[in-house]
Amino acid sequence: MQPRVVEVDRLTRAFNGVPAVRDVSFAVAAGEIHGLCGHNGAGKSTVVKMLTGQLEPDGGRIVIGGEPVELRSRSAAQRAGVALVDQELSVVPALTVLENMLLGDIHVPMANRRRSAVARCRRVLDDMGLERIDPDQPVSTLSIGERQLIEIAKALSQHARLVILDEPTATLTDVESAYVFAAIRRVAATGCSLVFVSHRLPEVLELCDAVTVLRNGRSVATTPAARLTVDELIVQMLGEPPHRLAPTRMADPDLAHALRIAGLTVPARLKDFSLNARAGRIYALAGQLGSGASDALRAVAGLHPAATGTVELRDRAVPLGDPVGAARRGIAFLSNDRKSEGLFLDKSVAANLTATRLPSLARAGILQPHREHATAQTVAERCGLPEHRLGEPMAALSGGNQQKAFVGRCLERNDVFALLLDEPTRGVDIGGRAAIHQLLREAADNGLVVLLASTELEELLELGDVIITMRDGHIVHRYDGDVDGGRLMRDMTQGRK
Amino acid sequence: MTAADSTRPAPLRLGVSTVGLAVPLLVLGAVAMTTHRFLSLDNARAILASSAFVGITAIGATLVMIAGSGVSLAASQTATVVAMFFLATQQLGLAAAVLIALAAGATLTALQGAIVGYWHANPIVLSIAAGFAIGGATTWFSGGTPVYPRTRAFDVLNGTPFGLPLAVYVLLAVTLLAELTLRRTTAGRQMYLVGENRAAARAAGLPVGRVTVIAWACFGVCIALTGVFLASFTTSATVTLGGTLTLDAIAAVLVGGTAITGGRGSALRTLGGAVLISVISDVLLLRGFSTGIQILVKGILVLAVVVTVHLRTTRGRQ
Repeated sequence: MQPRVVEVDRLTRAFNGVPAVRDVSFAVAAGEIHGLCGHNGAGKSTVVKMLTGQLEPDGGRIVIGGEPVELRSRSAAQRAGVALVDQELSVVPALTVLENMLLGDIHVPMANRRRSAVARCRRVLDDMGLERIDPDQPVSTLSIGERQLIEIAKALSQHARLVILDEPTATLTDVESAYVFAAIRRVAATGCSLVFVSHRLPEVLELCDAVTVLRNGRSVATTPAARLTVDELIVQMLGEPPHRLAPTRMADPDLAHALRIAGLTVPARLKDFSLNARAGRIYALAGQLGSGASDALRAVAGLHPAATGTVELRDRAVPLGDPVGAARRGIAFLSNDRKSEGLFLDKSVAANLTATRLPSLARAGILQPHREHATAQTVAERCGLPEHRLGEPMAALSGGNQQKAFVGRCLERNDVFALLLDEPTRGVDIGGRAAIHQLLREAADNGLVVLLASTELEELLELGDVIITMRDGHIVHRYDGDVDGGRLMRDMTQGRK
Repeated sequence: MTAADSTRPAPLRLGVSTVGLAVPLLVLGAVAMTTHRFLSLDNARAILASSAFVGITAIGATLVMIAGSGVSLAASQTATVVAMFFLATQQLGLAAAVLIALAAGATLTALQGAIVGYWHANPIVLSIAAGFAIGGATTWFSGGTPVYPRTRAFDVLNGTPFGLPLAVYVLLAVTLLAELTLRRTTAGRQMYLVGENRAAARAAGLPVGRVTVIAWACFGVCIALTGVFLASFTTSATVTLGGTLTLDAIAAVLVGGTAITGGRGSALRTLGGAVLISVISDVLLLRGFSTGIQILVKGILVLAVVVTVHLRTTRGRQ
C-alpha cells in the first residue's frame, strides 16, 4: 500500500444550518488518481472548496503528508501543496507558457531567474509528455485543453502534492481529452496525487484508481474503479432512482403554434439539433455542462452569433445571432446566470417586472404610469410576489423570489410565445422551486411553448412532458413516456463513444 | 439573502459618505455667505450664466453615461465644428442655421454611438479617435484661421430676456426635457437598464444598439446647442473654441453624482453639479483667487464626489 498523501477525515459543513457535507471521508495515496462522483447537490463542490481553502469546514480535518492542515485561504492551500484546475482557467493568454508558470511562484530566486526557470519549465513539460510546447510560446496560441495542462504544469512546478481537477474535460474535444488523460497519468506516475471530479462516468472509470461517491452530502462508498461499472456507479449516486410515468397532458394539436428548430449548429458546442416543440407542453433538455443543452437555448435566443440552422416560431422565421430579433418574434430567454445576465439588481422589483415590456406600456414612446403600475401588480400577483415589495431593489429579495420575478417578467404578455429557461431553479430553495414549477406549468397550459435545460433529475422528471437527453452537443434520446432517473443519468454521463 | 428578505425600514445611517457630502457643502455655504457681494441678484445671474454653456453639454453627457457608455471625449471638437457650420450658414437665416448645426452635432455623435452600441467599441478610445478626426477636419477646412459670419442673425441668441441670458433658459428647458425622457419614455428607461447590466439587457432582447444611439444622438444635439451659443457669444470661431468643454461637462455630470459605470443618475443632478461648480468658481473669484486655484479646487471636488458616490454604490450593493 502506498503511503496516504491526503486524508479527508469526517469533513462536515453546513450552510445556514442546512448540512451540505456530512462526515465525508476518503484518502488518496501518492500517485493515485481518485475519482469524486455525485449527482448535483451531493456535496462535491463543497468538498473541493474545503480542500482548496475557499471554505472552512465546520468539523472534521484534512491531513496532508501526515500533518493536519488548516486551509483558511486559496494561498494557504497552495502552500500546503494543493492545486486546483477547473473550468475557469487562470492562465493569462497574453503571457508565454514560462511567464504563466512563474506567476505567483515564490520558489524562484530573483537572480539568474530566467535560465533556471526555462530549464525547470522544460523539465515539467517533458514529464507531462508535452515536448511540443515551447516555454516561450504565448498561451493564446494553445488550445483550451493545452491551457488546462499548463495549469497542471504550473501546479507541478510549484511543488503541488495534490492536484484537484474539477470537471476538466467538460468542454474539451475527444482528441484534447485523450491527451489530457495521458498527461494526467504521467503526472500521477511522478508520485503526485490527483482528485478527478467529473460527470462523465466512463471517463472516471477509465482514468481513476478508486472512486468515492457522494450522495446527499455523505460518502456512500469508496470502490476500486476496476470493480465498478457505470450502472453500479449510477446506483451508488442515486440510491433509489426517481422515476415518472408517461405524462397524460395533451399537446396543442395546432402545429402552427410550435417552435420548430432544424439543424441548429453552434461550432464546437452543438451539432445538428432539431426539435418540434408544441405549445402547451414542457420540453426538458437534460444535459451536463458541455452537453450543448444550454447552447441550444442560447442559440435560439440569438445569443450565439456563430449559430447556423433554422428556427421558426408560429410559422415565422426567427433570425439567428440577433437577440433583439428573437425577442421580437416572441422568444423570451432566461439565462442560468440570474445575477450577471438576468435581472437588474439595482432597480426596483416593479422595474424588473416591466423591464422587457416597456413598449407595450407606452403610447408613442411615452410611458403611462398607471399602466406600468397595474401591470407590475398583476404580474407580482401572478408569480406570488408580495405587492408591498414592488418598490424594493431586486437585490434585497431572496434567490427564490428573484427567480420568480425573472420568470414573471415574461408572463402576462401577449407578445411572448416561447419561454426558454436555462436551469430555471438554480440557487432556489424548495418552496421557491415548487412555485416556479407551478408557474411554468401554468405558462404551458396557457399556450406557451416551454423549453428548459436542466441538470437536475428531479426537475427534469417533474416538469418535462418530453425529456431530451444530450451529450457532447448531440441529442441522445427523446423520452415521451415512462422513464426513470437512472436512464437519464446514463444518457447524460456515458461520455463519448 | 434570506436575512435581507425580511421587510424592515432602512436604518438612518450617518456613514462616511453622507458626512463626506454634507460637511463640504456646509463649509461652502458658510464661505459663500460670508463672501462680499456673493448674495446679490447680479451674482446669482452671473453664476447661472457661467454654468449654462457647459451645463447644456453636461445634460447630454448624462444620458450617455447613464446608458453605460462611460464618458465621451470628443465634445470640444464637435462643438467647435458645429460653431463653424453655424457661423458659415448665417446667411440662410437663424432657424436654418440652428437646424443645420443641431443636425451636424447629432449626426457626428450618433455615428460614434452606433459604433459603440452595435459593434461594442470602447467608447473612450472611439471618442478620442473621433475627437482627433473632427479636430483635424476642422483645422483643414478652416485653414487654421477664424471663421467669421457674413451676417449677424445670431445676435438674437445673445439676448437676455427678463435679465437672464437666453442660454440659461435653454439649459433649464434641456434639463427638463432630458429628465422627462429618462423617467417617462421607453427609450429613457431602457437607458438605465442597458447602463446597469448590458449583458442582461442583451439576453432579454432589449434594443441595446438603438438605445445607445439615441443617447448619443441626444448628446450630439446638446453639444451642438453649446456650440451655437459659443459661436454667438464669441461672434467668430477658431479651432480652439471648444476649449475644455469635454472635461468640464464630465466634471459637472460626476459632481452631480451620476454613476460613471452607468445605470444611475439624473439630469437634475447634473444641473446641480454644473451650478455647484459655478458657485465654487464664483466664490473663489470673488475672494480673489487665481484661475489656477479655481481649477485645482474643481479637480479636488470631482475626486471627492466620485469617491463618495463610489463608496455609496458599492455599499448599497452589499
